[in-house]
Amino acid sequence: MKCRKCKAPAEIDLPSHNTACCRACFAEYFTGQVDKAIRHHGLINPGERVLVALSGGKDSLSLMLELSRQGYDVTGLHVDLGIPVSSAAARAKVENFCTARGLKLKVVELIKEGLPIPDVKQYIHRPICSACGKIKRHWFNRVALTDGFQVLATGHNLDDEVARLFANTLRWDAGYLSDQGPCLAAESGFARKIKPLYRLTEFETACYAFLNGIEIHTAPCPYSSGATFTGHKKLWSDLEYTSPGTKIAFYDGFLKRGRPAFAQVDKDQGRAVAPCTTCASPTSTGVCGVCRLKIAVTERRAADPDRQTDPDRQ
Amino acid sequence: MITVFIEPDNETLHFERLKTVLLLQQRLGLRVNDALVIRGDMLLTPDCRLQDGDEIRIRKVISTG
Repeated sequence: MKCRKCKAPAEIDLPSHNTACCRACFAEYFTGQVDKAIRHHGLINPGERVLVALSGGKDSLSLMLELSRQGYDVTGLHVDLGIPVSSAAARAKVENFCTARGLKLKVVELIKEGLPIPDVKQYIHRPICSACGKIKRHWFNRVALTDGFQVLATGHNLDDEVARLFANTLRWDAGYLSDQGPCLAAESGFARKIKPLYRLTEFETACYAFLNGIEIHTAPCPYSSGATFTGHKKLWSDLEYTSPGTKIAFYDGFLKRGRPAFAQVDKDQGRAVAPCTTCASPTSTGVCGVCRLKIAVTERRAADPDRQTDPDRQ
Repeated sequence: MITVFIEPDNETLHFERLKTVLLLQQRLGLRVNDALVIRGDMLLTPDCRLQDGDEIRIRKVISTG
């Protein structure tokens, strides 16, 4: 198989685009897709500071590297979830990545914040992935605002976005369908949120990470077994295999024709947002969801006789 | 004999008489873009031929959270 552009031996087969690339042309393609996303949706304006959420996986680290290469003022933010073994490994990958490339990094430690994910899992009776996501988004936004970043970038790729859109569509969730997309404007205490990798698949970000020597955290989260989105991604993998190009057509079609309609519905029915009375993060419920989680975990941990007799688990 | 190491499962498999990457992917139940197929520091496309003694890394790409 040869590179469609330069005819050198290809390393990456991209049936969705009916093409194949050598590593040099793939680098151009990847950069072009990120640049197209940024320009087309006005994701980053000149001079803006960008906070990049770094999990240690292929997507976030690839995004950080690509934005820095394109000359943007980027700083990484890693949220250490406090999960035994897993979190230390992910954090090490992020720290090594940033140190080796001279990139700025901030770390939030949930143990220090009194809300480690193992405690949330133990004391809160709701799906842990949902609570964990809520806590991470809370800290991403909070650090962005308190430290003066105009933009918060996440490594969501096309597969992530299509799986999320699919889930939202299955529920006809007008609230989420009204604002899903590569750019969520800053408003009411929320930083602008952007997804510059939304045009690239997981396979493509994995190729980019490999070809650029990025060491990634590959072990799955020990708590995420059977996550709904993983099942949806497999369904979409089947669709993409039989009809290459379906994912991007579905997502682009939603942005052009679906989202505007849902945005109008949400505009008519949306709830007012005000600062959380505890932490000042935006919320529609007085005390924000993360502060309510923290209160519940703190109370239940204090009432747990096992935690009072075993000092190693405090 | 072709040795195949699968990530993130940390599983090692051995195959004989596999001529191409596509046949290896089919044997593993993987679609073309489900995983990176790595030999040394190179990525392999489905048409690449495999040789006796090859050591191949399969890196699945679907993130699970």
